[in-house]
Amino acid sequence: MKLLILLCMSTLVILQLQAKDYAVVTNKNFNTLSVGQIKALFLKKTSFLGNKSIVPLNLSSRNAVRLSFEKKVLHMSFSRLKSYWTKQHYLGHRPPISMKSQESIGVFIKKVDGAIGYMELKKVDSSLKIVYKWSD
Amino acid sequence: MLKKLLVIFLLTTTLFAQEYEEENRYALGEGIQAGSLPLYVGGYFSIDYRNKDSRSRYRIDDLAFLAYGNYEKFSYMAELEFKEFYTLSETDTGDTTEQDTSLHIERLYIDYNFNENYMLRVGKYNSQIGFWNLLPINVLRDTTSNPVSTYKIFPKFTTGLYGSYTSYNDGELKVDTMIQHNDDLDENYNNYVIDEHYALGVTYSKEELDLKLNIGMFDTYMPDNTTQNLYYFLASMKYETEEYQIMSEIGTQKSKENFTTEYAGYLQGVYRLNYKNAVILRLESYNDKFSRIQDEMVIFGYTYRPIYPVAIKAEYQLHSLEKENQFLFSLSVLF
Repeated sequence: MKLLILLCMSTLVILQLQAKDYAVVTNKNFNTLSVGQIKALFLKKTSFLGNKSIVPLNLSSRNAVRLSFEKKVLHMSFSRLKSYWTKQHYLGHRPPISMKSQESIGVFIKKVDGAIGYMELKKVDSSLKIVYKWSD
Repeated sequence: MLKKLLVIFLLTTTLFAQEYEEENRYALGEGIQAGSLPLYVGGYFSIDYRNKDSRSRYRIDDLAFLAYGNYEKFSYMAELEFKEFYTLSETDTGDTTEQDTSLHIERLYIDYNFNENYMLRVGKYNSQIGFWNLLPINVLRDTTSNPVSTYKIFPKFTTGLYGSYTSYNDGELKVDTMIQHNDDLDENYNNYVIDEHYALGVTYSKEELDLKLNIGMFDTYMPDNTTQNLYYFLASMKYETEEYQIMSEIGTQKSKENFTTEYAGYLQGVYRLNYKNAVILRLESYNDKFSRIQDEMVIFGYTYRPIYPVAIKAEYQLHSLEKENQFLFSLSVLF
């Protein structure tokens, strides 16, 4: 019995260690955002927070961090997002611009006020502000 | 004159945009940017076939061009369309062909976004009523046909002002209003000839569920050339997951004295077998008091999308008015 408990606990610890943490990040001028606001910005339902113009940043379409963001934060699959952006083309809205790496997202956010992106939590440096966190 | 200028503008920008195609890695259904200008161009077309009462009709239905973009707090949309561009019909006396080469202004508006909550629009736009009328073109809807409620209850287009307030929290709440107190920008391209339209809508969305209520009044010309105020109400719901979508809209329309359409509504289910294939079942019913027609129908549909912006659709409609039974097939593309 003790062996079984030990095995279960070890499995849980291993799973916990494997779970990845992610963050939605901005520069220091942002307040914390609700999931609803983040969804609205990345789905381009609005391009403003208050009076500030917002530039959402994606990673490339098959990037694992982006797929996790779309699944856990936007709650939409790759194919559903494809159809969503096709419909948005008819409505006159464009998808967020895509960056090649998490590092380039960090650099862009530091240079452009109003930029918002996402990355692995371990890659967030002290110049960025975490406005939302999620885990796989 | 305005239409000619818009066509020249669209064609010029399309040619200009093609030079930048490779750089922008054009993909079907996404349009293309004209250089680095705040201008995207695209369009769509639709061809269809109908067999009704053992007679066939072949049609190039829609051929449309889009141009849109945004600059700071402003954005704009222009859509010009050839409607029923070419029709070949079988009749008792043989085949007849019709061509309508007039170019219509389907949408032409400018938006101003005050902030994340408030937006104001000026121009001609799809009346923001229900869910179906927001994405009414063949390639984006689930069936070739449109439910009766989407063209009997309210004007599909409004020319005037549109204002909305949206709050983005756990759920999304949107309140919007439409005001028209002028002629239609293109009165030949609307289901009602109107010069007044006042409407109010409330939408609440949370996770997979969207609910919406619309009320409104419009002034239209009747067949005897008199004008009449018509009042309408529409309730809509949509529930959408990765695998399926359930959508329903039901509405009513009346004049000051009587119901003109006592009710018109539908309940539609879409089940996605996979990313490319979907089956559709729609139940519809309406009672048009003005033309004294009452009908119930069941519509079976199948849609194949090799890629999302290309739709190949087939549907069969079974009506309680049996002479209305029909088969429809269409190919539509958004580019």
